[in-house]
Amino acid sequence: MHVVKASDQSPPSLLSGDNRVRLEQWLAAQADASRVTVTEDGRLGGGAISLNLAVTLDVDGGPLTGRHACVLRAEGGGRISASIGKLREFVVLRAAFAAGVMAPEPLLGCDDPAVLGHDFYIMRRAEGLGAGHAVTRSEVAQPELARELGRQLGLLHRITPETEGLDRLGEAPDCPAQETLAQFRRWFGELARRDPVIAWGLRWLEVNAPLPGAVVLCHRDFRTGNYLVKDGALTAILDWEFSGFSDPMEDLGWFCARSWRFRRPDREAGGIADRADFYAGYEETSGRRVDPARVAYWETAAYLRWAAIAVEQGLRHSSGAERSLELALTGRMLPEIEMDMLRHLRAIGGMAVDSVASGAVEKVA
Amino acid sequence: MRANPDARGLLEIAATTFRADVLPHVAPEARFAALMVANALEIAERELKGLDAAGHSMLGALSLLYGEDADDALSGEDLRKRVEALQHRLCIEIAAGDFDNEGQDVLMDSLEAIVEARLGISNPKALG
Repeated sequence: MHVVKASDQSPPSLLSGDNRVRLEQWLAAQADASRVTVTEDGRLGGGAISLNLAVTLDVDGGPLTGRHACVLRAEGGGRISASIGKLREFVVLRAAFAAGVMAPEPLLGCDDPAVLGHDFYIMRRAEGLGAGHAVTRSEVAQPELARELGRQLGLLHRITPETEGLDRLGEAPDCPAQETLAQFRRWFGELARRDPVIAWGLRWLEVNAPLPGAVVLCHRDFRTGNYLVKDGALTAILDWEFSGFSDPMEDLGWFCARSWRFRRPDREAGGIADRADFYAGYEETSGRRVDPARVAYWETAAYLRWAAIAVEQGLRHSSGAERSLELALTGRMLPEIEMDMLRHLRAIGGMAVDSVASGAVEKVA
Repeated sequence: MRANPDARGLLEIAATTFRADVLPHVAPEARFAALMVANALEIAERELKGLDAAGHSMLGALSLLYGEDADDALSGEDLRKRVEALQHRLCIEIAAGDFDNEGQDVLMDSLEAIVEARLGISNPKALG
């Protein structure tokens, strides 16, 4: 995501005039510094929902004294249903970083509207290539990268609702599958009575819903396109704005969904390697086995979730809330996402209806 | 009176010209936006040209389930309404569990054909 995209409109004057002064004063107070200077290095991509500004902080005094390449991440034009506020995102990032996950180090978070008007936080800037098409360009598979991503996800999934400092995230769901289904029904609303593919996806999720198992902190947008790679190695996992407590297998299903394989649909783990590489890394650090039937369930959920987000993005444009060609075109991706879901359901056909749920339960028990 | 060229004709030549004569000269920082413009123009062009054909394909797909003959005489608004009515009926039946135990193969064939018809307009490359 740290790629400047032409789709980003010229930055709103987030750091113009008084805003910059207020930000610098706030930072100095927070960082126990005598003075902080903020230099703007340009807007970063990945801004469909959030606003990402590259900034350099020059800090005089206090524990952060020195120069820091950072990203200021603020609430963007319109939050969509799946996203959490910037302060909750900051809290998640802090927990993930503390657990040893390769997330950008979060430095300071602010929910005082008097500073910039929006909630925002500042994290260290990571280097690397993020765009899905670039990451999946490699002729040869990248099993070590997939394994490392699995390890990172495993570390994240060691964080449970009991972990301190996560109160802001609210209650963990008793049954993630049922909660997700109810959420999807709300998101799709009337469309579920007009689009039979959506109707079938929802019905399938209902009939096959696994019984509740472990509930952990999930990234919920853990996929190719949302991590950075430099010289073939992982440098950072980004875009934590959908994070929340859920079934750990949800993140694995999302990662493996066709939608995020970009140039290499044949490489089922994020377009970079085989599932086995990714799963092996996950099992090294997570302390649990991958449950393929449960992953398949959550992969179906992944297509529906992505479909709901695409529909909502399209409506953000069509309703006039935020006119944008990128949002408009995202809305037109629905049939493509639905086709991916149908392909997935065909592929797992052998265990469709009844068998997934019971199989998953046996393995969990 | 219909102007000549009509909207479809204008869109077609605008999309072709944009791709051939404008896109190659667009600065890197505007390339993503330019590609989106080209994509949007082409979707609109395919929709103007192929909406009825897609509607007939969808009707054909739904007739797998309902045995209604795909009425070739329908077009425009009437065709759209017929497709919507059958899709609505199918949604209700799916939600009621009518396909939980049987008929899934035909349902899947029908759903795939419906999506293929829509993909033909929004992104034919994904038909693979």
